[in-house]
Amino acid sequence: MAAYGGAVPIAPAELSRSDIAQDMSVDRPWITLVWNDPVNLMSYVTYVFQTYFGYSREKAEKLMLDVHQKGRAVVSNGSREKMERDTEALQGYGLWATLKKDD
Amino acid sequence: MARAFKRKGDRFVARLDEVEREVVVGLMEQTHAFLAPVPREPTGDPFDDLVAGLGLPRLDDSRDDAPQLPRDPALERLLPSAHRDDPELAAEFRRLTEHGLREGKAANLATAISALQAPDGDKVRLDHEQARAMVVALTDVRLLLGERLGLRTDEDADALQDRLEAASEDDPQLHLAAYYDFMTWLQESLTGALMDL
Repeated sequence: MAAYGGAVPIAPAELSRSDIAQDMSVDRPWITLVWNDPVNLMSYVTYVFQTYFGYSREKAEKLMLDVHQKGRAVVSNGSREKMERDTEALQGYGLWATLKKDD
Repeated sequence: MARAFKRKGDRFVARLDEVEREVVVGLMEQTHAFLAPVPREPTGDPFDDLVAGLGLPRLDDSRDDAPQLPRDPALERLLPSAHRDDPELAAEFRRLTEHGLREGKAANLATAISALQAPDGDKVRLDHEQARAMVVALTDVRLLLGERLGLRTDEDADALQDRLEAASEDDPQLHLAAYYDFMTWLQESLTGALMDL
């Protein structure tokens, strides 16, 4: 991912209680992944996660940094149909999104 | 001299002179031509033509007729395979989504081009919907330019500035790199303004 002017704060963000509760719920067999690429801006990826998913700035930045540093991040999970919609929408924003059945 | 996007009330305003606007519009038009869906030849069958006009996959779409894995690497980046490990699922996803994705991207580019072609003096003023279309359109332009510049890793992108400085005047990549840098600057400012809301 690219940064322009390095204006993104990089302090680690804590997941909120509700995020953790959401992530631990069962029966979410499919996941949507976003992969790192050299073109998309760190600020823009954060903007997309906030705008499309309605994630908080903290959660969106945490996911963006995971993509940037680890090469990819799971950005949503749920039914296959929902993950297909998420993948299509994120590709519409120009992010490198894929989906797969969770292992 | 260009001035980056800033939020002014409920508008997003940048100052771009005529040459700068022409550069952005030209790049967006090329990206639009690259991405806009290719209209299907009328088949003579009224139902098939109606379905094609709606952008829906034809019910009798055979594998041969379905959009194949794109050959141009820029297209593969703009419309990537949605299933990394399963070519069959990837082809199915592409068949169902490619037309709509191309239409959406083309519509964003068209909105952005219209806004750039109707400036107020040298000011480009966008409402929220236009700003959203513009920031996505700038992304797709940069994805296409980035692919043409051979940006495959973060290190490639970091090295772009050095390439710009080392390039000779008649290096065609110099212009692409300069345009890419300009688009990046514009997009960064508009993204910041949108996140200010």
